[in-house]
Amino acid sequence: MRRIVNALGAVLISLSASTALATGDAEQGRYKAHTCLGCHGAPGYSNAYPTYHVPKLGGQHAEYIVAALNAYAAGQRKHPTMHANAVTLSEQDIADIAAYFAGMERP
Amino acid sequence: MMRTSSLTTVVGINFRLRFIAGIVLGFALATTAAAGGDPVAGREKSKVCAACHGEDGNSPNPAYPRLAGQYANYLERALLDYQSGERQNAIMAGLAAPLSKADIEDLSAYFAGQNGDLFAVDLD
Repeated sequence: MRRIVNALGAVLISLSASTALATGDAEQGRYKAHTCLGCHGAPGYSNAYPTYHVPKLGGQHAEYIVAALNAYAAGQRKHPTMHANAVTLSEQDIADIAAYFAGMERP
Repeated sequence: MMRTSSLTTVVGINFRLRFIAGIVLGFALATTAAAGGDPVAGREKSKVCAACHGEDGNSPNPAYPRLAGQYANYLERALLDYQSGERQNAIMAGLAAPLSKADIEDLSAYFAGQNGDLFAVDLD
């Protein structure tokens, strides 16, 4: 019996995890991305020390943006500003922001 | 007296012009060096990348970022960070490890020069 309960629990957890990853709301993301646009909404804007352009995000794959934000939060990608921003985001926030950038129309 | 001072002025301007020309030339060379990647060589070196990122950097698989049209110096930074471990990714660490500085610049120049769905968001 306990084994069945454990198995059911594992199935439920994996279901909820995949659901959270799958559904991003671009409309919500538009509001949640307000901070991002300070740097990612200015074409040609540069990171300092080292100097390179802040990456283009319009039309990028949502799944990749989710992975990038999770990596910044976890410290697998080291960038102080991105880490500070990413750790404040929930899984839903990340999915919404990713959906927003991925679904943007090219101007 | 008048003639001497005007001659001094002419020499002064000439010197200043040369000085300015030198600075302009210096900047031009520096800019060329920064964007020094060879996209034709980069295309040749990009065969391995194509497996995941697509032949022209328009990744068909959403797990892998689109590279086509991305800023060259951002792509260079990404590859350098994979090499140093600043950016941790099991697949990219292995692929970036053997690249020379010239390889990184060439690959970045190639993908940056491709057209695709990626664009810079412009709020204005």
